[in-house]
Formats: sequence, structure tokens, C-alpha cells
Amino acid sequence: MIENDHKSQGAAFGMRGIVKRVLPHIILCAFSLMILMPLLWILRVSFTDRLTAYKIPPEIGTVGLMNYVEIFQRYPFASWFLNSLIVALGATAIALPLATALAYAFARFNTGGTFLRLGVLASQMLPPIILVLPLFGMFLMAGLMHSRTGLVIAHLTISLPFLSWMLVSFFEGDVARLEEAARVDGATRWQAFRHIAVPVAAPGILAAGLLGFILSWNEFLFALVLSGPSSQTLPVGLAALETHAGVEIAPLAAATVVSLVPVFALLPFLRKHLIKGLSLGALK
Amino acid sequence: MFGWLISSPSLGLLFLVILFPVFWALFTSVHDYTLIAPNFDTFNGLDNYMKAAGDPEFRHTLRLTAFFVAAVVILEFALGFLIALMLHTVERFKSVYYAILLCPLLMNPVIVGLIWRMFLHPSLGIVNYLLSLVGIEPVNWLGSTKVALWTLVMVDIWHQVSFMIVLLLAGLSALPREPYEAARVDGASIFRSFWHITLPLMWPVIAVTLLIRLIFAVKTYDLIYIMTRGGPGVATDLVSYFIYRTAFVSLNIGEASAMSAILLAVILGLTAWLHRYMRSLT
Repeated sequence: MIENDHKSQGAAFGMRGIVKRVLPHIILCAFSLMILMPLLWILRVSFTDRLTAYKIPPEIGTVGLMNYVEIFQRYPFASWFLNSLIVALGATAIALPLATALAYAFARFNTGGTFLRLGVLASQMLPPIILVLPLFGMFLMAGLMHSRTGLVIAHLTISLPFLSWMLVSFFEGDVARLEEAARVDGATRWQAFRHIAVPVAAPGILAAGLLGFILSWNEFLFALVLSGPSSQTLPVGLAALETHAGVEIAPLAAATVVSLVPVFALLPFLRKHLIKGLSLGALK
Repeated sequence: MFGWLISSPSLGLLFLVILFPVFWALFTSVHDYTLIAPNFDTFNGLDNYMKAAGDPEFRHTLRLTAFFVAAVVILEFALGFLIALMLHTVERFKSVYYAILLCPLLMNPVIVGLIWRMFLHPSLGIVNYLLSLVGIEPVNWLGSTKVALWTLVMVDIWHQVSFMIVLLLAGLSALPREPYEAARVDGASIFRSFWHITLPLMWPVIAVTLLIRLIFAVKTYDLIYIMTRGGPGVATDLVSYFIYRTAFVSLNIGEASAMSAILLAVILGLTAWLHRYMRSLT
């Protein structure tokens, strides 16, 4: 009897051990499928012809690149893509050096104290709808409506606070001691910043720049309200694509895939700094 | 001195592109500024604020936003914490799972909205087809007033739950090992050590993660614009979209600015709260 009890207990323990080891994988696999399936489905639809794309239940029709050709021929997809690229690059190129300087001042001199830091954090948290109304009024007066310049300015309201806030932590820590050593050797404050702090923080600054680029690339509301036919960015164009001719599933899937390419291409370079970026510098 | 010197260009620009527009909005909010008469000729004091506060639609929109934000934050946290804990226990395939969950994270909300609109189409969508295979009646995901908001919540979970997982997992990996070993020696169960060790130690990370997600959820606009335009009726009319409609459909920028100012106060309060937690973390 006693032996039997032990045995059944042992079996139960073994069972529990297996459950403990396998259960996480079951949950994680189910979750991964939930994330992955929609993306794979879009990829599939993007290679089917437009009639097959509507077929329920799904069928395998002709497979080819026709949708990818079509979005460039029938829609101004190239122009949307280019506008997105120009605006995102422009906003990031302006914001990155300025934000680097501000972040350095925060980290090294605590310029402006808590009040200013809180101001920068709050600017980053500002819902775009709050800014888009005054920008609309201001751009009307200044003649900046529908221009790419206007969009770059609007996107600065996102990238400048984000980058300034995120870069602070890259200047904290050991860099300060290196700079002090250089200062003892007669370097000016500017030289210490330019030739020591910035090169040491360069990989972080670059990753932050890529994240800033993606923020701008994904931005929708400013572009929707402030852009015109010739300055439309990708998200605005895609949103319009959907309403022009009902639900054009196949070309839309192809356009979706193409506009995801830059983001997925940049992801591996960001991974190391992603957590810092997402948590606004609170976690590493 | 040097600090002010090198920060002055960015501070100047921040002043120009953020502070000045915010003051412009506050200035507009006390004037009768419409897109039909876009000028500051008529000062009307707090009229816009009174109108907004008395508008049942605006109050509906605030309640709806609060509900949406609460649903999204709570559900994403629950699912996100579960997945983060699972990822924390496994070793094999961990990097594969992690790479997969990163995919939606930096995706454009417009694209997320568009692809889910396709999937959820009542007759042409794949979701209803899959449900019909297991004998479930087709659901009118975006066209029914009862379902639409929950549909948006689900799509938002698909898009944003990875944010929770990534941050919570980072928090879990940084926890010290000693308390767990001590608990094991004392024979504490997994659930007890989760309740008495993991939760208290994780609290600052959890608070920061929840607050950031909460503030970003308040801003939700793109998903609404793409998937429902606030409809059917006003069933998904979240605050950002309602302000947009007031400004660019009703053309009443003055009143929309007053609503923005109210939203601004809420966001500033939440940000100050977040800042306190962030400082306790570092």
C-alpha cells in the first residue's frame, strides 16, 4: 500500500514536471501563431491575383508579383514612399544633433532642472490632436499648408522630445570620467562633448535616430491634416487607397508589405536599445 | 553656462514647435474661431469650455475613452504578464518567440487597422470564414454597436501587447535570484513566491509600463479613423477622433481647442505621475 502510494505520487510528480515544462511552450506557440498568422496571410494575399484575393473559402489562384507592379503603376505609390522617406529623414536629421546637445546638457549639467525635464517628457506625451489644431492655423497663416517643409516641422514635435529624452541615459555613467580626464589635459568643454562624449555614445545615438525615423515614418494624423496631394505620405496614401475603390484587397496587401519593409529592415539594429526606447529610458 | 549654451537651439525649437502651438490652442479656445471665420475677432471667454462641458456627446466620448483605455491596459497587462512569465521560464526557442512578438511592435497603426479591416469584413473576411468552420455564426465585427468597441480592443491587443511583454520581461530578467532560492529552501510554492517576491519587486517596472501604455492609449486615433470613423453611430467615438470631427467636420476650431485643453490637463497630470515613478526606478 505504502509503496503504491509512493509510486502514484511519483507519477503525479512526473506528470507535473512535464506539464510545467511543456505548458509554457504550448502557451507561447499559441501566442506566436496569433501574432504571426495575420502577417503571413497578408504576405500570401499580396501574391495572389485580385479575384482570388476575395475568394472565401480561400483558393490558390495565379501567383505573381502583379500587385507589386500595379501599386506603382496605378497609384502614386512611389511618390508616397518618397514623401515619407524625405519627411522622416528630414525630421530625424534636424532633431538628432539638437536632441544630442540637449540630452548632454541634461545629463551633465542638469540644465533647467526637473521642471525642464518634465516639460520635455510632457511634450512627448502630448496627443497629436492637441498640436494639430494650432499647427493647422499657424500653417494657414504662414503658407506652409500642403508642403513637405510643414510636415517636417510637425514631425519635429514628435522626434525632438522623444530623442532628447531617450539620449540622456547614454551620457550618464563612465563617459563623465573620461571627459574629466580630458579636461585635466586641457580640453575645452566643447571638445570634451564633441570628441569624447559624442563618439562614446554614438551607437546609442544612431539607434535612437533609427527609432525616431520609424516614429516619423508611422505618423498619421499630422500628415492627414497638413499634407496635400503632392506631399501625401505613405500612411495617408494607404488610408485613401482603401476608400477609393472599395476594399482593394490584393494591391492593399502588396502596399502593406512594401511599407513594412523599412521597419522590419531596421529592427535588428534597434534590438539592443529597443527596451530603452519603448520605456522612455526608464528600463535598460 | 555651457549646458544652456548647447541646449539653446533645441530649447528654442521646442518652444517654437510645441510650447507656442499649445499657447495658440489655449488662445484659440477662448475665441470664437471657426474654419468659416478663421480669426480671433470675437473673444468669448469660457463659452467654448461651457459648451464642451455641457455637450452630452463630449461626455459620452470621455466615458468611452476611459472605458477603452481601461480595457486595453488591463487586458494587455494580463496577457502580457502571462507571456512574459512564460518566456522567463523557457530557454529553448526563447529567441524565436521573442523575434516573433517584436513584429507588430513597430508596425504602423494605419496598416494594422487596414489589415484587420480586411480580415474582419463580415462576408469577405477570413475571420468569419474560420469561425464558420467551427460552426459559429458570422459576427458583424465593425458594424454592430455592441461589438465594435471590443473589436477595436482586440485589434489593439494584437498590436500593442508586445510592448507590455518586452518591458515586463526586461523587468523580470533584472530581478535578483537570492530571494527565490531562499523561498525554495523554505518550501514556498511557485504561486507564493510570485505573490510575495515577484510582484513587490516588479512593482516599479509594472507601474511605469502601465502608465506609459495608458497615456499612449488615450491618444488612440489612427485605429479609429481607419477601422470605424467613430461609428457605428458614436459607438467608438474616442476623444481624439471626436476633437478631430469637431474641428474639421463641424469646423469649430475654438470649441475643439477647448476640448484639447481639457485633454491636455489630463495628460499633464498623468505625465507628472509617470515622472515620479520613473525617478523612483533609476
